[in-house]
Amino acid sequence: MSSGIYLSDTPIRRAQASGSPLLRKIQRACRMSLPEPDLALNLDVADYINEKQGAAPRDAAIAIVNLINNRDVHTAIFALALLDVLVKNCGYPFHLQISRKEFLNELVKRFPEHPPMRYSKVHRLVLTAIEEWYQTICKHSSYKEDLGYIRDMRRLLKYKGYAFPKIQAEDLAVMRETDQLKTPSEIQKEQEIAQAAKLEELIRRGKPEDLREANKLMKIMAGFKEDNARNAKQTIQTELNKLKRKADLFNEMMSTSASPDVSNETIEELFSALKGAQPKFQKIIEEEHDDDALVQDLLKFNDTVNQLLEKYSLLKIGNSSAASQIHPVAISNTASDQQTNSGALAHEINLLDFGDDNDNATNSGSPAVQTNAINNNTNSAPVDDLLGDLNDLTISTPAPSQNFGVGGSISLGGPSQPTTSTTPANANSLDLLGELSTTTSNTTTTTNNANANSLDLFGDSTTISQQAQSTRILVHQSSTVKIEFELSRETNTTIKLKSYFSNTSTSNLTQLTFLVAIPKSMKLRLLPQSTNELPPLVQNGITQEAWVDNFDVSSVKPLKIKWKLNYMKSGCPAEETAVFTLPKV
Amino acid sequence: MGNSISKTLGRLFGSREMKILMLGLDNAGKTTILYKLKLNKIKTSTPTVGFNVETVKYKNVKFNMWDVGGQARLRPLWRHYFPATTALIFVIDSNDDDRLIEAKEELYSIISEKEMEDVVLLVWANKQDLKNAKKPQEISEFLELDRNLKNQQWCVIGSNALTGQGLVEGLSWISNNTNNK
Repeated sequence: MSSGIYLSDTPIRRAQASGSPLLRKIQRACRMSLPEPDLALNLDVADYINEKQGAAPRDAAIAIVNLINNRDVHTAIFALALLDVLVKNCGYPFHLQISRKEFLNELVKRFPEHPPMRYSKVHRLVLTAIEEWYQTICKHSSYKEDLGYIRDMRRLLKYKGYAFPKIQAEDLAVMRETDQLKTPSEIQKEQEIAQAAKLEELIRRGKPEDLREANKLMKIMAGFKEDNARNAKQTIQTELNKLKRKADLFNEMMSTSASPDVSNETIEELFSALKGAQPKFQKIIEEEHDDDALVQDLLKFNDTVNQLLEKYSLLKIGNSSAASQIHPVAISNTASDQQTNSGALAHEINLLDFGDDNDNATNSGSPAVQTNAINNNTNSAPVDDLLGDLNDLTISTPAPSQNFGVGGSISLGGPSQPTTSTTPANANSLDLLGELSTTTSNTTTTTNNANANSLDLFGDSTTISQQAQSTRILVHQSSTVKIEFELSRETNTTIKLKSYFSNTSTSNLTQLTFLVAIPKSMKLRLLPQSTNELPPLVQNGITQEAWVDNFDVSSVKPLKIKWKLNYMKSGCPAEETAVFTLPKV
Repeated sequence: MGNSISKTLGRLFGSREMKILMLGLDNAGKTTILYKLKLNKIKTSTPTVGFNVETVKYKNVKFNMWDVGGQARLRPLWRHYFPATTALIFVIDSNDDDRLIEAKEELYSIISEKEMEDVVLLVWANKQDLKNAKKPQEISEFLELDRNLKNQQWCVIGSNALTGQGLVEGLSWISNNTNNK
């Protein structure tokens, strides 16, 4: 290609007589005659893509990257502005397109092998864009595992010596996933759009592994709608709890002084968050009217919000005496609200763990991912409590040298998010976790650093066996295996769990492994199984002992454990899993 | 790039590749047809949840055949398979009188999509081996394609997946009626 002046084969000034309205719109938004990027035109493209879906995000991404590589700097800058708008407004289907390897390669096509002394404007904008994506969607998107190539491209550029500009916090905030209360149907719709985009992309790529994944995805899209619905419920709970905290904070800020500063930015933000959420309450109630608990909760919360908003408006017009009269009502209401929701709050903290857990899953690869999938399949509703527990997941095989307890933990550890430390109850499990990640095989050091309480127990558990009462309970029975627990309380904070496995089928079961996970705030010590083979119709052929520390006798919440049983049945691998709620002991 | 070169070369030697989408109600016999064509074997298949893809070579044409499950809950997902389709094969169970109307409705909802307006349409009136099966002629009349399709090539062929009758005819009709693009 010769340098200098030449006529490009795609005249930019004249709109190409392309048949697609999408391409026409993009060309219009990037034409050279514009004085500056036209937000209205750009948003028009975004709306069009959001409406059409299908191939539109892909076509747009391809057209835009071609314009970015245009020789005309003006056009390239407009195209980058348009790209920015689309990334911010078209959601996952577009994110999927910009994270394609081909797209990213094309995006940096005009980058020299070694960084130039001074970046051109286009270079700078491209680097900014990549850094922004990396800081936002690659970290916060619910589907961040699909966006890996952005991360790779950033790493590659960095390796080649390119420096990325610092992104302003405000710019990052725009791309955060919106923390908004959504109705189940909205969540589901979003999910459907994302899944459809992914399915089409997989079909388009058409490599065998893509097709396998597409098949899997199709099954999810077609078959497990209930699964999606349950996820939607979780999401609602999370958002609702966030709102509740906002309401508490709002109330607190308004009640601290006789005449609080209502024009304070934070107060205004809280006000608008609560106000904005209110219309959603009704919609959620309409859609979820058969979930009594949720509806009651929402109605109650709605009352609180109403009072808070009223108080705010009274304060705003300076009527602080009237406002202070609302005061006691609002407080008592929120107080009772808090009480009833303390469970929900704990629940949410575990949901936060879920995010954390996801990090681990992507880092550690298959085992964690597998168990994750199991979580989604189990039918018991409050599974989320246990979602965070993969860090404590213990595999035991009857190998004699095996350290019991945390020794077999497959937790990759990983940085646990500071957000989980919001309650003291979780603080010590954080300690434990941090410890686990460094000393996975050394149980003694772990207990040394764990809180004193469990240290004692650990030392004593072998000698103290009060065994007040021990009961045998049926945990699970299928056509193949029966699992029973014998539960006894050893100390005020420790219970002993002896599990018995029986083969109820006529086939030989081999390579049987039993995995258990408990909530993070507790500690599980597991002895190896007595054996891993179960001949046909053998009762109590395998036994295994375990202790759960930190489970206080006065604890109101029942202990839920998640278990998974893997075995080979006449040569075929099989798996059974569920969540089991232990009775009080 | 490499892909387009091989395509150009392929055109020189007269070989072509096309995406064929095979749809139809559940239990019409799509998967059976696919594996009869691919392996020349009858594979008893459970209802397809998801889809199957196989490449079938016939003369100098490579047919990438996509067989997507036809259960009611999978049908809304069919549209994700529409892009870049050259030919649509719609398979009908000629023996299932009760669901002929349903099949007709599904067929029309597919071909009314914008993405599908350029594809050629082949209908396989399948299960011709069964005694009470409707003849291709009857199916064709029932579907009223001649009245409703103005700009599209279409054809109804009787088929029997078990013997393979009508299958090769169908593919050769498709390759004859798609221009070399």
